[in-house]
Amino acid sequence: MNETNLKSIIEQVIRELNVADEPSKANVSACPLNETTCDVPEITAYEMENYFEVPSAENKDAYLNYKKSTHARVGIWRAGPRYTTQTMLRFRADHAVAQDAVFTDVSDELIEKYGWLKLQTAVTNKDEYLTRPDLGRIIDDESIALLKAKAKASPRVQIYISDGLSSTAIEANGYDTYKAMEQGLKSHGIEVGTPFFVKYGRVPAMDHVSELLGAEVTVILIGERPGLATGESMSCYMIYKGKVGNPESLRTVVSNIHKNGTPAVEAGAHIADIIKRILSEQKSGVDLKL
Amino acid sequence: MKESMISVGIDIGTSTTQLVFCKMIIENTASAWTVPTVKIVDKEVLFRSDIYFTPLKSSDVIDAEAVKQLVLKIYEQAQMQPEAVDTGAVIITGETARKENAKEVLEMLSGLAGDFVVATAGPDLEGILAGKGSGACAYSKAHSCTVMNFDIGGGTTNVAIYKNGDVIDAACYDIGGRLIKVDKQGKIDYLSEKVKALSAKMALPLVIGQMADVKDLKRITDTMAEVMVSIAERRNGAHIDLPSAQEILITNHDLKTFDPIEAVFFSGGVADCMIETTKPWHTYGDIGFLLGESIRIAFEKTKVKAVHADETIRATVIGAGTHTTDISGSTIHYDRALLPIQNIPIIRLTELEEKSDSKARVEAITSRVKWFISQSDQSLMALSLRGHKSYGFDALQALASDIVKGMRAVIEAKLPLIILVDQDLAKSLGLSIRGNLSPEYPVICIDSVSVDNGDYIDIGVPVADGQVVPVIIKTLLFGY
Repeated sequence: MNETNLKSIIEQVIRELNVADEPSKANVSACPLNETTCDVPEITAYEMENYFEVPSAENKDAYLNYKKSTHARVGIWRAGPRYTTQTMLRFRADHAVAQDAVFTDVSDELIEKYGWLKLQTAVTNKDEYLTRPDLGRIIDDESIALLKAKAKASPRVQIYISDGLSSTAIEANGYDTYKAMEQGLKSHGIEVGTPFFVKYGRVPAMDHVSELLGAEVTVILIGERPGLATGESMSCYMIYKGKVGNPESLRTVVSNIHKNGTPAVEAGAHIADIIKRILSEQKSGVDLKL
Repeated sequence: MKESMISVGIDIGTSTTQLVFCKMIIENTASAWTVPTVKIVDKEVLFRSDIYFTPLKSSDVIDAEAVKQLVLKIYEQAQMQPEAVDTGAVIITGETARKENAKEVLEMLSGLAGDFVVATAGPDLEGILAGKGSGACAYSKAHSCTVMNFDIGGGTTNVAIYKNGDVIDAACYDIGGRLIKVDKQGKIDYLSEKVKALSAKMALPLVIGQMADVKDLKRITDTMAEVMVSIAERRNGAHIDLPSAQEILITNHDLKTFDPIEAVFFSGGVADCMIETTKPWHTYGDIGFLLGESIRIAFEKTKVKAVHADETIRATVIGAGTHTTDISGSTIHYDRALLPIQNIPIIRLTELEEKSDSKARVEAITSRVKWFISQSDQSLMALSLRGHKSYGFDALQALASDIVKGMRAVIEAKLPLIILVDQDLAKSLGLSIRGNLSPEYPVICIDSVSVDNGDYIDIGVPVADGQVVPVIIKTLLFGY
């Protein structure tokens, strides 16, 4: 079966499904028409830890207590063998948040507002970003020129920000963590290079950056692959005198930076201390015992 | 990477004095790729002293020097150097706590037990610690239920109620084994004031110097046991023939809550008397065995589930040794030279004040600081805040600047700025506050400690590579 065939079959199935759905459409609006405002509860407004639907639970308090230790969807009850409408919608909403985190871009206005230089890897669009990890590790020629022209050469610490797999994570935490790091390093008397943003970046792009600028420590704040618990999680990778092709074990990492993990500003203050350790011990990754 | 802290518990009660040494294991429980989370992961009792009669000069005065010598002797027995002790608590309890020289005793001991020993007294705290030592608190957490602990000592019975591992209420009653003492011939040696009032009410012929009739004594202990059943059944004396008995026996205040409870724990010396039935009743020259029997029989008639505690006579001291010290969050900011620091009073902003705009927030802090100074005539205090999970950098700068402005009076007095935050914020907030002051200005900013207006805090010497500090919160929540 060729692709055109397949497409037409799918189109036909979708058409039939729509037809089958049509009679129910009249019932979609649950609100009486004469009411001007419709109070539909926001499906993602509550934390999953607090969502509990088990009817007549033996000990609800105990269950809720256990639920505090996990984001997992437990205690959500069921309709026959399936999810209830509420939990199914929530699942899909969370999944959509994760997809959006990957497929949107960090807004240009935000980058300009923070005064970060705008750089890009050799990747040209999202599809290529997802399918060609190798290109996401190289800074493109135009950006190299920009770096050479505008960024301070050979800084002790170079911090930069990159979208990675979650632009949402950067929009939520990037600025706050960066500023807190900068403040922490300043209190230690450590100079920081010119901040910039790299679009379509993967973690090892920091090695290329490290070589280009000759930084002693290179630090990247990058969006983590989103999951169903949060799309806002950011990581920070640090390397001492990074070189292209160096093993991953040379990187020190602090992950899980988001409002329900380590708060952005607190993570920044903590990372500043780690960077100080990397500088004084002149090593990073598994060699650095924290 | 495990590390341990040695903690001492010293309990100087109405009738007995005892010590325990405990080891608290602290460990970073977070994975290698996240920010550290240092926690107390285990507690272990290293040494339990024998139980000694509290040295008294007279029936009202503790012999502080003799207590000190006793404690020194126990340190030696345990082969423990005072310098090796990191933290601990001295609890002067029961009737003894009301004795005037309690302060002198605490001063005698505080040098002895490391440089970070807290001295606290008060019946509610005693009861809360006893329930933690007896296992009642842990039981309520493990079974997600509400349980009551009766710590029945010589002078008082301390009641504490725990719900899912949290203490929700505490009270104290004058029910105890040594409220009536008899000599070898069976003559009454001593009657407490409360027992005198009770026996007058019940028209019993109990007089000091006269032979005690066991039947009369039994009527007193039966009434005490009935009061306890009434407390456990949350009926507040409703079924006792003598409704005022409970009122008479209240030490300072009654319980404030009425939630039903699922189990009752018995600890304290009298808890042992409840199960030991072979000895003559006057073995200890008091009513301990009579009271124990009365309580056992009274509770056997009820539907209340009674549990004999893991620790009985040592419950309070074990609670003191293991449950007074906690540790701060793991990302904090402090000047090492300031620590340890003790008895810092706390002022706390309301949620509304904390969320208001800069001008109102500065005013709120300023007025609280001023009020505190006018009340207490001292300027050293800690400011407590809630914080929230999504503080941005700019909002945090504003908060830091407001704090510095609001606490001007403290800064002018050149006292350290001490900030306590509920949420995980302290390191960045501390750095931000420092940014508003000269670099050498002393600042302590710690998080994951929940305190309230009127509480006091002690902050100890950093542990776990300086990542966390031990804290002892002396809360006034239950009126002690």
